[in-house]
Amino acid sequence: MQNKNEFIRVVQENEGLIYKVAKLYTDSREDEQDLYQEIIYQLWKSFDGFRNESKISTWMYRIALNTSIVHLNRERRKGKYVPIDEMPAPPSDNGNTLKAERIEALYAHIKNLNTVEKGIVLLYLEGKSYEEIAGITGFSVSNVGTRLGRIKQKLSSQIKK
Amino acid sequence: MELEEMKIAWEEMSADIGRQKKITDSLIIKMTQINYRNKTLKIAVPETIGSFGCMAMALYIAIHFQELHTWYLQGCGLITLITLVLLPIISFRSIYVITAVQVEGNKYKESLLQYANGKKKFVALQKMNFYLGAILLVVILPVTGQLIGGKDVFKQHWIWLWFSTSFIFFYILAGRIFRKYVNIITEAQTILRELEE
Repeated sequence: MQNKNEFIRVVQENEGLIYKVAKLYTDSREDEQDLYQEIIYQLWKSFDGFRNESKISTWMYRIALNTSIVHLNRERRKGKYVPIDEMPAPPSDNGNTLKAERIEALYAHIKNLNTVEKGIVLLYLEGKSYEEIAGITGFSVSNVGTRLGRIKQKLSSQIKK
Repeated sequence: MELEEMKIAWEEMSADIGRQKKITDSLIIKMTQINYRNKTLKIAVPETIGSFGCMAMALYIAIHFQELHTWYLQGCGLITLITLVLLPIISFRSIYVITAVQVEGNKYKESLLQYANGKKKFVALQKMNFYLGAILLVVILPVTGQLIGGKDVFKQHWIWLWFSTSFIFFYILAGRIFRKYVNIITEAQTILRELEE
């Protein structure tokens, strides 16, 4: 019970992280909700294995990103998850159209990147240092720097088009 | 939108999300429980049903094998038996390789490597299953013809029509399926190339 309460607290504190990852790796609202729930399930499954050797957010990013990769394989199968009408609405659906459009444009730019770059740019936008990004992704610190440089160029050329 | 602009927009969005804490205790519990039940139920239902079918057929042929009197019917019987055993094994193996990404413990790079290599292995196994299916289509008819119908179908003139129709059917199907496999392999190779860059 103690463990369950602790897990609920961790998920509620990092709800945004799960939401942002789920949105980045999916193309429809239904798929996004599936992945959101799958991440929570995988976090719950791995929760006992978390040993405070890294920050809780680092552990959560790892699980969330790995779950998203597994999810790339999966075809949507109806009726497996909590019904969508019971799920919390994403922040972009809360009435502010201009802001929602800006968020959609932001995601559209990131979704144009390849799978490797998507993960790196997400962590960069989340304010992670190069060292932290390297720790989560398994690339070297210098490689993270090189890749982010390339991502900047790619994004600039996307705007020019 | 430049990367730095994106970062500012992202921070604003994150702050918004932070203010809108919505997920409830009961919803979190429900998600883990519902998923748990689904995980136990979803273990490749079609493959399991198919495997039972293959095994039942293999058992039937093995029990009645002595009723295959000629060398060519025995040959077909043996190939049918081997194929019926191999098909489910390869099916389950291909499910395993495609779902083998370690969610816990892996880093992003390792997971992507596992994912891409899993896709390549998956295609190789699926192709193998496709060819085995084609072989089965040819050899099972003489065997079942003898065991169920009591006829040596090699002595029926329509058998060649069956074989040629099967060949055309498989040729068309192969074209469609293999095009899909090419896309999967291309995706896997793209990821591997991105990782090497």
